[in-house]
Amino acid sequence: MEFAIISALNGVIYGLLLFMVSAGLTLIFGMMGVLNFAHASFYMLGAYVAYTLSSLVGFWAGLLVAPLVVGLVGLLVERYLLRRIHAFGHAHELLLTFGLALIFEELVKLFYGDFPVNYQMPDNLRFAAFTVFGTDYPFYRLFIGGVALAMFLVLYLLLSRTRIGIVVRAAERLPSMAEALGHNIPLVFMSVFGAGAALAGLGGAVAGAFFPTNPNMALELGVIVFVVVVVGGLGSLKGSLVASLLIGLFSSFAVGIDWSLASLFDLVGLGPWARSLGGLMTMTVSSISGTIPFVLMLVVLLVRPAGLMGERS
Amino acid sequence: MSASPPALELVGVAKSFGAIPVVRGVDLQIPAGERHAVIGPNGAGKSTLFNLVSGLFPLSGGDIRLRGRSIAGLPPHRINRSGLARSFQITNIFHRLSVFENLRIGVMARHGLRFGLFRPVARMRQVNEEARAILALVRLEARAEDLAGDLTYSEQRALEIGMTLTTGADVILLDEPTAGMSREETDRAVELIREVTAGKTLLMVEHDMSVVFSLCDRVSVLVYGEILATDTPERISANRAVQEAYLGEEPDESSGRDFGQDSGGEAAP
Amino acid sequence: MSPPVSPSVRTPLLLALVLALLIGLPPFLDLGLQNALVNVLIAGLFALAFNLLVGQAGLLSFGHAAYFGIGAFATLHLMRAVEDGLAFPTPLLPLAGAAAGLAVGAVAGFFATLRSGVYFALVTLAIAELFHSLAPHWEGLFGGEAGLSSMRMPWGGLIFGSTLEVYYLALGWVTLSVWLLWAYTRTPFGRLTLALRDNEQRVRFLGYDAHATKVIVFAISAMFSGVAGALQAISNETANYSLFSAHVSAGVVLNTFVGGSTVFFGPALGAAAFTLFDHLVSDLTRSWQLYQGLIFVLVMLFAPGGIGGIVQHHLRHRRQLDWSRLAGPYALAGLGGALVAAGMVFMIESLSVLFGEGYAVLRRDAGGGHPPFEAFGAQWDPAGPLTWGLPLALFLAGLFLIARARRDIAALWESVRSAPAGRPAGRGPEASARSAPSGSPS
Repeated sequence: MEFAIISALNGVIYGLLLFMVSAGLTLIFGMMGVLNFAHASFYMLGAYVAYTLSSLVGFWAGLLVAPLVVGLVGLLVERYLLRRIHAFGHAHELLLTFGLALIFEELVKLFYGDFPVNYQMPDNLRFAAFTVFGTDYPFYRLFIGGVALAMFLVLYLLLSRTRIGIVVRAAERLPSMAEALGHNIPLVFMSVFGAGAALAGLGGAVAGAFFPTNPNMALELGVIVFVVVVVGGLGSLKGSLVASLLIGLFSSFAVGIDWSLASLFDLVGLGPWARSLGGLMTMTVSSISGTIPFVLMLVVLLVRPAGLMGERS
Repeated sequence: MSASPPALELVGVAKSFGAIPVVRGVDLQIPAGERHAVIGPNGAGKSTLFNLVSGLFPLSGGDIRLRGRSIAGLPPHRINRSGLARSFQITNIFHRLSVFENLRIGVMARHGLRFGLFRPVARMRQVNEEARAILALVRLEARAEDLAGDLTYSEQRALEIGMTLTTGADVILLDEPTAGMSREETDRAVELIREVTAGKTLLMVEHDMSVVFSLCDRVSVLVYGEILATDTPERISANRAVQEAYLGEEPDESSGRDFGQDSGGEAAP
Repeated sequence: MSPPVSPSVRTPLLLALVLALLIGLPPFLDLGLQNALVNVLIAGLFALAFNLLVGQAGLLSFGHAAYFGIGAFATLHLMRAVEDGLAFPTPLLPLAGAAAGLAVGAVAGFFATLRSGVYFALVTLAIAELFHSLAPHWEGLFGGEAGLSSMRMPWGGLIFGSTLEVYYLALGWVTLSVWLLWAYTRTPFGRLTLALRDNEQRVRFLGYDAHATKVIVFAISAMFSGVAGALQAISNETANYSLFSAHVSAGVVLNTFVGGSTVFFGPALGAAAFTLFDHLVSDLTRSWQLYQGLIFVLVMLFAPGGIGGIVQHHLRHRRQLDWSRLAGPYALAGLGGALVAAGMVFMIESLSVLFGEGYAVLRRDAGGGHPPFEAFGAQWDPAGPLTWGLPLALFLAGLFLIARARRDIAALWESVRSAPAGRPAGRGPEASARSAPSGSPS
């Protein structure tokens, strides 16, 4: 029971964090058709920029400014790099963002070294929110979840209630039509790209103070974020939210599950035989918890490429 | 006609996209050796019909028979191997390959070289000769080594027809082969089509009535997914129901070369 | 006859010369260079195998590490069996990598090619990540986290103890594989592969089964990737799950596109250049990967055809080029490029020193402050105007020279393009729409 509650909480919060990063990725793909390999790099940049600023101007200022800095980087990337090679097609854009991801990782290593930096939350946030079954539950986790929820709410209202939102959604469906109606589509693209980067940066700035901030964080989160946007449906914001929570919950529960394929065979009395085979049969869910999201991603890509909630395939 | 099955036979062919019926029960028999045109206003379902016959879309109902054998539900490459080839309205060639290579790819398919991995194609005399022959037939010899993407529009249309011929099919579907051509280019294309489809069965979508007149034995008029009439070009153009269907329901047809406008001047006998 | 394979008459001669050098030179090189050359051969074959899929069939894979790794592990299993007494000739070990690559590639390819475009790329990525995340937990097949190790066993009088022997073994296999890959492009199936890249729909309407075709191309590409992985296993005598990592998949993408995916030997060129540079400079700088990333992005932005594309473009127009007029602007552009590179390298290396651990120690020893640091054999003041002004000046001067040269070069190429072609103009992909970016080193 204790495991269940704590895991559920951790899972939801990790899921919300995943959502903060995947929201921008899926929006950008939906609008521009660009699968941005460098998106998780914005998450990492957010953490490092916030770390740097927090030692200069304090934690809160860092938290606010870091997303703006990262958003600016995103704007510049779209305006001066992506747009330049747009005419060469999606494969080229994909390759360019791929190269940028490498550069960001190496730049971070250049300035901050190969090892984690000591980015910490302020002491006045370091307290237990509540205690379940004798375990203190850190307030900061709830804070991460709260920021993500607030962000989702703002994003949702922005897209559904405002004029900007209508233009963005129109540009997503029919860019040429929206352009013909007098909207500045390049500007919309650039803004969405910048906003997506800023969201990922905010995610990094918030989460980096709790989870390790190191040069691998982009790659590690990046592949999981790909899983999320694929499972949720490329281009679908709601799908991303659902998939984020799904993957988040799965990752946190899987650690405690020691079932294996052989346990399935137990049900029909073939367990011992399966165990004698070893290999895949006896691997527990907990030991291959890193693998299962990719299995899920493959199944979705092959069976229902539009994802849980995507409209296009 | 009853002795041997028609080259191509459509029986109650229907297609809906979602709830919207686009082709609703088309029956059509094309005997071997006939040149047959499908005309009709925009949005009548002509291209959809072509896509159904060539296997690009699955049928919603009905059956399609090639020489008496059903091809409904087969994937495009199987239909092609059964002897039915099509061209495309939008030029659909291999832009970054040479003109000769474009044709040779098709000839290879006829020779069953689908997975030929053990001999250079340059040494396959038969394949190269046949590709050369078709190159000559569509009069593109001078551009054999140029990239297909660098050809002029009407040259690309000729290549498109040539590629349709390469697989040796005896039922040929041409989707608006003269669309976008000048009068002279159209005349040359008509000659080309007449020449290369000699002895074959031809089904074509065409807007230009002069093309239909000079080429085709019979014409079917498709309106709103149904065949209104099938007859010789002369009798079709005299048919009042056809004229009403065109002029009455599609007043916006503005292209000067469309049936609605042309029928008064050129098509009346 | 068509894009990626349009050799001039002199190509066979050139290839013979390269092969002669590869055969004759290594005994006179030091051990480090011999090792580097083994890696060049492996990376070159891997890139060419990868490019069969990417450049010729137009299918962009982001998970080719999977087949490289599978080839390596399969070979190590066979090596261990040989160690245990199985009578199998050591020189034929890569057959295990080829077989495993082919088999896994056929299965993976079957599924991956059900999708196209970005979705295809994502399936390949997911498959590689699947292996990467599973391997450390799979003791029997991949040896867990530590991986598998084995020894090369002597065979038929050959000891396979020295790097040189391994080198010649690799050279034999790579030569054979590259020849097969080259021959492949001349076969009907090779031509069909190119057609598939251009227009899959038309391929189907000409009577070909597009999916089956793609599966076979994928499997063949995986097979040769498996051979490359096998050679790596033989050379290193060990392999672990890191072979499946995204970095390996990324490496082959970099090599291929910097070398030029539209030219048959382009990817090998890129692989050779990067691998040799890696060997030469990795002792000198910590930032080699950063330079690699920068080069890749610059190529993507300014010369999408890669090095091979530029070379091919010039070869194609060699009769129309007036080198007496081009030489000047080209030299200027080259000088500008060198200045830009020098400025960047100076800046990056300075930053690398200043933000490195060594300098932190230096500061502590100096009791705070910013003591001067050493780079390029001189002392530099971290706050000195020269320290940052010099690279900046180099950089800007270089940009200025490039901009000037670029104008002249563009004008000269314009005259080439409008002049009647000496031979059929459109022989390669660059000849049409994309000639400008790959032609002028902008």
